[in-house]
Amino acid sequence: MKDIDLTVRIGRLKLKNPVIVSSGTFGFGEEFEDFFDVSRLGAIIPKGISLKPMMGNPPPRIFETEAGVINSIGLQNPGFEEFVKEKLPYYKNLKTHLIINFFGNTQKEYIDLARRFDGIPGISGLEMNISCPNIKRCGIVFGTDPRMAYRLVHAVRKATKLTFIVKLSPNVTDIVRMAKSAEEGGADAVSLVNTFRAMAINIQTRKPELGNVIGGLSGPAIKPIALRMVWEVGQAVRIPVVGMGGIMNAGDAIEFILAGASAIQIGTANLVNPRTGIEVVRGIKKYLIQNKIGSIQKLIGAFRG
Amino acid sequence: MPFQTEGIVLKNGRIKSLYFILWVHCPPIANQVKPGQFVMLKVSDDCTPLLRRPFSVYKSYPADHPDKRKRGDLSIVYKTVGKGTLKMTTLKRGQKVALIGPLGNGFTLPPLPSSENNILIGGGMGIVSLFSLTEKLEGRNLTFLIGGKTRSDILCVDDFKKFKLKVFTATEDGSVGMRGTVVDLFFSQRIKFKKDEKYSIYACGPVAMLKALSKAVSFKNLTCQASLEARMGCGFGACWGCVVKTNHPTTPYQRVCKDGPVFPLKDIVWE
Repeated sequence: MKDIDLTVRIGRLKLKNPVIVSSGTFGFGEEFEDFFDVSRLGAIIPKGISLKPMMGNPPPRIFETEAGVINSIGLQNPGFEEFVKEKLPYYKNLKTHLIINFFGNTQKEYIDLARRFDGIPGISGLEMNISCPNIKRCGIVFGTDPRMAYRLVHAVRKATKLTFIVKLSPNVTDIVRMAKSAEEGGADAVSLVNTFRAMAINIQTRKPELGNVIGGLSGPAIKPIALRMVWEVGQAVRIPVVGMGGIMNAGDAIEFILAGASAIQIGTANLVNPRTGIEVVRGIKKYLIQNKIGSIQKLIGAFRG
Repeated sequence: MPFQTEGIVLKNGRIKSLYFILWVHCPPIANQVKPGQFVMLKVSDDCTPLLRRPFSVYKSYPADHPDKRKRGDLSIVYKTVGKGTLKMTTLKRGQKVALIGPLGNGFTLPPLPSSENNILIGGGMGIVSLFSLTEKLEGRNLTFLIGGKTRSDILCVDDFKKFKLKVFTATEDGSVGMRGTVVDLFFSQRIKFKKDEKYSIYACGPVAMLKALSKAVSFKNLTCQASLEARMGCGFGACWGCVVKTNHPTTPYQRVCKDGPVFPLKDIVWE
């Protein structure tokens, strides 16, 4: 095999390939050890962490739709202290980038967490979640108001020297405006999209299918919308865009890269085919070889519309 | 472990009513699966249905099984309740089927030598996960209580009768055995319990059955393991979609796929 260059950059971060696994779909990483060498990915993003532990939403938390899943997990996580004590040591042998996804209920909590993670060795970057659709208070105001988003990003930027990615919600009037706010606030990159607010009703019981009534839709069903948003945001900002939304295989990943994504995230696909991540890395390489393109960088945003 | 692998369909057919049995040749899983564990089966090659479906393993033949022809085979029993299971009925001999397994914690067997009275309680589909447990408990003091709504919900009793155990049946409409639920059956057994003897109960069945049973098992010399089912996302512990509420001191929502599916019945918090 020729010498294909799959390296991509997000701010100061150099990733060996553009394939990242999405927070909430990859546990803490150890669950995938049996399936493939996780260090072969460009980066991993474990479950999002909050200052205090969160119990999560009552079940049912999952409902399958046509080519998709609605989830209302509710950000269940062990909290910062427990994460650092029990989960962080596992990453000592990880030979790829670890990006921590985090969120808070107030601006103060976001800053506090960012500051705490800043001092921990072995962390390559932070992904700030301002976009959870199934928690009433968590960041949902930050995620929909451009001015609040700008203020939050600006404040958190000052609290950390790590590569700082802002994860955007698609449940907004104008995602381009949100992306620009994040860029102006000093984010190194934006990642999009998080899940779309959705629900389902059981007509036999006449009750909602999810314990939390509303959840977030993900999977192939959302790909066309996610792709369009990635393209629009990529046209509007100069910082790198990390694209996600329904990516199931290398072909999907390449669509997002052509649309302007410097890197992509695999989410729902991990649940269905745990080896999706490594298969997408191989698939992208194969595509470059077949099309006689020496470097993935030539593909980023190659579609100009 | 667990393995992400493929099995080859050997046989797929209706048992009765809405119940089917699928036989697959899959040595990696057949060799390792323990009583109470399950597999995640990919029903389609495309995005509909998207998620894998969980199924308890019924019978399995490891590499050292005396029946050489069956080594590497395993079976699952399924009921056509929705899109995924309906699609499974079309699986044909020779077809490949994507499987992840073995998954879950499985039942804990009391160590030998043991003088416990072992009672297996199966409601409807619940008996599937109790079969290989019965195999492992053979030779011990065994009672099997099986229940269902009606005659067509009483499955595979002949398979269980091949072991040396006492079998009692109950149907809610009285079409087979005692008229009532399997928990009513348990109550009729419980009055014969001796104060100075130990009882180990293994239960698997619908939520209503386990909930009713939880009220009947607070005894000093009685331990009860319950195997739960839940709608699952990944099935191997990564997404936290399949939780059940427990009395765990720090993490009340536990994963049925990874922390279970077997839990001490007393630990479940029923809503």
